Amino acid sequence: MKKLRYFIIIILLFVSLVGCAETKILERIGVTTLVGYDLGDDEMVDTTAIIRQVSPEFQSRVEIITTKDKTSKGTRIKANLRSSKKIQIGQMRIVLFGDDVAKDGLRYYTETLLENPAVSNSLFMAVVEGRTQPLLEYKYENIEDIGQHIFKLVEQNITNEHLISSTLHEVAHDYDSIGMDMSMPILKRDKEVIAITDVALFKRDKMVGKLSVNDSFYLKLVRNNFQSGMLETVLTKDDLTSSLMKNSPDGIPLVFDTVRTVRDVKLINQKTPEFDLHIKMNARLLEIKSDINTGDPKQIAALEKAIKKNLTREISRVIAYCQEVDSDVFGFGEVYRSSVRNSNLTHEKWHEMYKEMKVNVKIDFTIIRNGIFE
Amino acid sequence: MKNPLQLSPKDTINAFLLFFVIHSSQVGVGIHGFQRFVYHDAKHDAWISVLLIGIVSHIIVIFMIKTLEMYDSNDLYGIHQDVFGKWIGNFLNGIYILYCSTAFFAVLRNYMEVINAWVFPNLNPWFLSATLLLIVMYAFLSGLRVIVGIAFFSVVFSFWLYPLLIFPLEFSSSSSFYPILESDIISILKGAQSMTFTIIGFEILNVIYPFVKDKENVKKHVHLGLLATTVIYLAIILVSLAYYSEGELARTIWATLTLFSIVRFPFIERFEFIAINFWMLIIIPNLCLYIWAAYRGTIRLVKISAKKFVWIFSIIIFIFTIVIQTRTQINMINTQFGKVAFYIVFVYPIFLYVVAALKKKLTSQKEQKE
Repeated sequence: MKKLRYFIIIILLFVSLVGCAETKILERIGVTTLVGYDLGDDEMVDTTAIIRQVSPEFQSRVEIITTKDKTSKGTRIKANLRSSKKIQIGQMRIVLFGDDVAKDGLRYYTETLLENPAVSNSLFMAVVEGRTQPLLEYKYENIEDIGQHIFKLVEQNITNEHLISSTLHEVAHDYDSIGMDMSMPILKRDKEVIAITDVALFKRDKMVGKLSVNDSFYLKLVRNNFQSGMLETVLTKDDLTSSLMKNSPDGIPLVFDTVRTVRDVKLINQKTPEFDLHIKMNARLLEIKSDINTGDPKQIAALEKAIKKNLTREISRVIAYCQEVDSDVFGFGEVYRSSVRNSNLTHEKWHEMYKEMKVNVKIDFTIIRNGIFE
Repeated sequence: MKNPLQLSPKDTINAFLLFFVIHSSQVGVGIHGFQRFVYHDAKHDAWISVLLIGIVSHIIVIFMIKTLEMYDSNDLYGIHQDVFGKWIGNFLNGIYILYCSTAFFAVLRNYMEVINAWVFPNLNPWFLSATLLLIVMYAFLSGLRVIVGIAFFSVVFSFWLYPLLIFPLEFSSSSSFYPILESDIISILKGAQSMTFTIIGFEILNVIYPFVKDKENVKKHVHLGLLATTVIYLAIILVSLAYYSEGELARTIWATLTLFSIVRFPFIERFEFIAINFWMLIIIPNLCLYIWAAYRGTIRLVKISAKKFVWIFSIIIFIFTIVIQTRTQINMINTQFGKVAFYIVFVYPIFLYVVAALKKKLTSQKEQKE
């Protein structure tokens, strides 16, 4: 019994000491929710951090601290010097990059984020048109906590599948993958509103081009299977048969959302390389500006055909643009790597082939339903 | 046969508990980050390497059990003394004790490193090692049946961790596995060899065998334990290969723990912190079994009480955990230990079986002549 008592006392002592290892009391720390990076002069990094401070007496306060240093951690040391509370980054939700940083390369930033165990892998990343600092420091009338606002903005659009997901894990995944490049949303301030305007295309870690948000739908369609994206498109004369064109001479604008898509990419020629891209798509027609009777099976069939033609053209256009800027956001390289034995693919080798790549787009489009009124 | 162990029934355990002993002694710290080592050699065919080493471990265990069956109730240390005589036998026993102690040290130091790197960067290593050693001492002094009990609870209580591997599947793509068998056979075998550090632990059977009550059921439960481990490792490597991209997997130090970091619940945002701390439960039986195995060997060499042994042992280990501080040193120990362990665990049992079988044949011939 005596022995047991000794042990219990010693273990209790240690347990009580464990609680004192490192304390992070909410009232004494500044919670960083958002960090923006800009290129400064002389290879310096300008870091703007949105820090939320919780105090027991008052409402929580949002503070914006901008610092300048050679490394991102260096800026954190400097930020600590200006803050009354210890700055912690465990709650960081989103990281923004000015487009000069994005064009210069993000490798170093993603690597330091990955290295740090306090940073969550589900953190979002986005690019800002221009510099991040003015976007963050602007006094918005209706936005109280800008860090939270931007995070929710990006998160909402990604979970609703309007954009390619750009969490830290996915960015790191695509960066280190040979046959796939990453993509991030681009944010822009327009007076009082912050909006996602474009999608940035990367070649390895450097931003090389951008697509409009509408085009990013096609991007998603080619890149992975998805469930709920919504698209507005205009069917033009080329797509439509004359019977459908009767009352709408300039084309028919319509909106649909996809219920389900299945994508299938096959490599059919290794030399060129040439791919067969087959997308099966079930959609729900949401809105159409024309006199088409959506209850008529014949007209629906004609409409499906027209949409198919339209989608094929648009997807080919998007692929051609991405080839032009040399960014393989679709992951065709991954398909190539996984279907060619002993390809010993490298980034350089793949990007050389990528420019010459041919893609045959084939689409099966089915309208399963429209609304509750014909 | 010399030196059979005399055991009272209250020291023995049921054979079905071997499932938990074998499984919990295999799963330890290696599981945190074995992916990058296997991937380094076998690339995207790494899962074949894992499967291969799993099968090999089954074969090795067959040899182990056969050797042990030749001696009704004796452990590896007694077999050594019988087969090789007093001097060489005791020398080999010494090596085996050293091996168990190093395994103990490697498990402890690696777990401390994870805690330091991930959860408490400023916590003193001596504090961690002292707390863990105290728990292990406490368990060890209570005897084998308590250790086996810990192993049982460790397996049962940690089983819920594995279904969480479903979460990373959301970000996975099956294209990472293709083309299958692109790596040549040598690299796949090399990858299998680099799994050594992760899959060892089942050699504890050598020491625990005489303590099993119903020996006819040993085979079944040991193989089931091995199978459970292989299935878990295979599941983890498959998920990792699909989840990470090529370069990412090669550079993620603790890929399994990083897998957990994508797991998110409404009530807990960073799940890996729970997983890492929970891992202590998985480490404890590992440590207990190794220290126990080392003790069983030591009492064959010198007369020493369990209490005295555990204090000396713990103090030596404690000093080493403090001396060895840096990541580079720890990695070096892991690789060197893995290399040596490969020969001790995967090659030596076959050799021992052959020698023991030969000796048995010779002695029986002699007896016939007489």
